[in-house]
Amino acid sequence: MIILQILINGLLLGAFYALIGIGFSLVWGVTNIINLSHGAIALLGAYLTFFLFQTFRLDPFLSIPVSFIAMFSFGYLLQRYLMNFVVKAQIFMLLILTFGLEIFLVNFMTTFFSADFRSVTPSYAGNSLVLGSIVIPYIRLAVFSICVIIAVAMALFLDKTWPGKAIKATSLDIEASMMSGINPAKIYALTFALGSGLAGVSGTLLTLTQAFSPSIAGGLTLRAFIVSILGGLGRIEGALIGGLLLGVLETFSSYLIGESYKNAIAFGLMVLVLIVKPSGLMGRKYYAEVKH
Amino acid sequence: MKKKNVISFALFIITLAVLPHLVSGYWQRVLTQTFLFASIAVGSNIIIGYTGYPAFGNIAFFGVGAYVTGVLTTKYNMAFVATLPFCALSGIVLAILLGIPILRLKGHYFAIATVGVMETIKELIDNMTELTGGGLGLTLPIMQGEPEHIYRFFYYAMLLCMLFALLLSYVISKVKLGYALRAIRVDEDAASVMGINTPLYKTFAWALSASAVGIAGGIYAYWLSYIDPHTVFVGTYSVKMFAMILLGGAGTVMGPLLGAFTLELISELIWSKFIAIHGMVLGLLIIFIILFIPKGMFETFKGGFSFRKLLTNLRENSL
Repeated sequence: MIILQILINGLLLGAFYALIGIGFSLVWGVTNIINLSHGAIALLGAYLTFFLFQTFRLDPFLSIPVSFIAMFSFGYLLQRYLMNFVVKAQIFMLLILTFGLEIFLVNFMTTFFSADFRSVTPSYAGNSLVLGSIVIPYIRLAVFSICVIIAVAMALFLDKTWPGKAIKATSLDIEASMMSGINPAKIYALTFALGSGLAGVSGTLLTLTQAFSPSIAGGLTLRAFIVSILGGLGRIEGALIGGLLLGVLETFSSYLIGESYKNAIAFGLMVLVLIVKPSGLMGRKYYAEVKH
Repeated sequence: MKKKNVISFALFIITLAVLPHLVSGYWQRVLTQTFLFASIAVGSNIIIGYTGYPAFGNIAFFGVGAYVTGVLTTKYNMAFVATLPFCALSGIVLAILLGIPILRLKGHYFAIATVGVMETIKELIDNMTELTGGGLGLTLPIMQGEPEHIYRFFYYAMLLCMLFALLLSYVISKVKLGYALRAIRVDEDAASVMGINTPLYKTFAWALSASAVGIAGGIYAYWLSYIDPHTVFVGTYSVKMFAMILLGGAGTVMGPLLGAFTLELISELIWSKFIAIHGMVLGLLIIFIILFIPKGMFETFKGGFSFRKLLTNLRENSL
């Protein structure tokens, strides 16, 4: 029975990782930018939720649209007026640029929001669904459902709407997309904005499940990273499967081997997948081929 | 090397050799720290600049080197100087073992795999409590003698390490290996067709690069006299190293050295003035370098400083 409980915990955690990974993987797959500030942007969303809850007693679930819109705008401006100037540079320049941004944002949050660990605890935080010997907190269940709904919505957006198709077209062939009247600068900005908006939402959901401080930004980015690698870049269903896999793997390895080897196992698996199948478990060739 | 360059380099080294007798302990410490970063930047430039493989996690070798010195001096009572060859060896062996699978990856994937390797090694060391002290850290034997003498010892040790890295980098740039590496950077497939054994050369380059970084780690451990996984496997060091290489000019012998001096001294000046926002300024500085001087100061300002060149650089990589 304990195995089932661990599996459920892993899946619940995994959906959250999937949500962080979706935005990260979308940005990487389309614009070829590994956004190392992804975790920091998620934390901006988390702090927004925290302050809204503290000052106006706004329910964290209701602040999801707020953090989405705020981080969407932030991401749009960032790509339009900063990243777009360097997207054609060598890849490690982009890595360092986004890391510079991460250092800036993390220090900004530490200076103005303090390095203390914060958490948001609405009145219903302690309630759980009890099925026999299995306990599922309602909040985690809600977070899981929201993550899955957003993943499905994103997949539909990319497949069915004009902007979604334009994003996919740009990621496949930038010249051809320009010829069919797509402005890649705007599409890149839109993609980055979506990625950041999703990061903001995952930040909001983060406040509900664990305590946070600016110092966990790097850990969040690395999780997003592993999820993208496991699932394959730019694919929503890939990120979903990668996230669930990582969640289950983390909880099981914590139970079987010990909490302290959690990261080593996750990274070991990532490096292994990179070596054996660099396109990810779900990756197709044309998505984010190695561009130099 | 032109005669003028040789003379100015000799003057530079003589100045550095005399300096500890002239400046305060604070500046000796700052310079020692600068030499440390210069060693890392110059050493890593062999794989990053020459070969074009963005080894984002090259600091892994630094951390391993630090732990090699730490473990050998505490558990096996070895003299500090005797541990340094083992630091270099640890880097070489690790780079060869990791290079065989990982150097097949390219671009982003390589960069990320090295970060993954660094984090994994960090966590393994964190968990090998009996040998490394784990999260509690490792306290190294403190050097005996006058504080003044000790400061100078580390100053010269780090200076020598930097010179070793420079020599390595210079020699590589002049021999067949260096030409092969540059060919790999420009076009790996073409290099392979030309008869260059690319996997062998890449692995060799990474091993040499790792040896210089490993020695720097060993000296750092003894200098600090206390290490734990979080003080030697630092992500920020990777970024600083990259910023230094870019600022000075990747793929040149002297570029990373000058980049290290510029960035570290600026950083030190900022540190002493605004401690609270130091990190924010460092972040902005890195963004500024990438936007305006991605080719390095020397390439950009060859014919004198001008703002137009900065704008040209900005336009070059924009969408």
